[in-house]
Amino acid sequence: MKRRWQLVLAALLLGGASASLAADLAAGAAKAKEVCQACHGLDGNSQVPDYPKLGGQRSDYLAKALRDYKSGARKNAIMAGFAGTLSAADIDNVAAYYASQPPVLVVKH
Amino acid sequence: MRGLVARPFGPDPLRMKNPKLSTLKAGVALALLAAPLAAWGQAAPEGDAAAGAHKNRMCAGCHGIAGWRTAYPEVYSVPKIGGQHPAYIVKALQEYKSGERSHPSMRAIAASLSDQDMADLAAYYGGPPPKTASK
Repeated sequence: MKRRWQLVLAALLLGGASASLAADLAAGAAKAKEVCQACHGLDGNSQVPDYPKLGGQRSDYLAKALRDYKSGARKNAIMAGFAGTLSAADIDNVAAYYASQPPVLVVKH
Repeated sequence: MRGLVARPFGPDPLRMKNPKLSTLKAGVALALLAAPLAAWGQAAPEGDAAAGAHKNRMCAGCHGIAGWRTAYPEVYSVPKIGGQHPAYIVKALQEYKSGERSHPSMRAIAASLSDQDMADLAAYYGGPPPKTASK
């Protein structure tokens, strides 16, 4: 069962990573630890109701959100500050990293 | 003899046994209900997940399909929202409705939702995953 999930995760990752050329999961983990984990948790399972859970979220959605925070297209005083410190590569890496975490988020019909 | 007497409109004999206990239970239930309501204040309506499950037709067409991508104005995967914090879902919907957060489809859909609708949908999506959920 666990193996199957690993396969599913790998498939999701490959699918998501095609948009961002070869995201670096280890670099993403390091950046997440430095910038994101205090609010969103290192595994993306945020315990604070106002801060979204990120574990298993789609990587391209996460990357778009971060780019929008950085550009100001999406306005949030807290996230503007953090996303502003991330390079384009950091964004892809962090997004891929959280997408690869245990899926606390699901597609609910 | 008692069991043979039909009493369609009579009080439930089980409850009759100990009216004090029933009152106590009702009191505890009221207190349990009132506490979080008082803490939450009047700003946010309480979400009803069962009601939300019947209001999600506009959501399911994108968020209910694994791997679905929006096509306009930019192509990217729609976020998974099952299991998300209800408070965050409500906030996102309010921001779409106010225009603070921009996405044409989401703005139109959120604009049609009342505060109660948002709370119900958030309770539904944020609640425990049903058997039909997929990762």
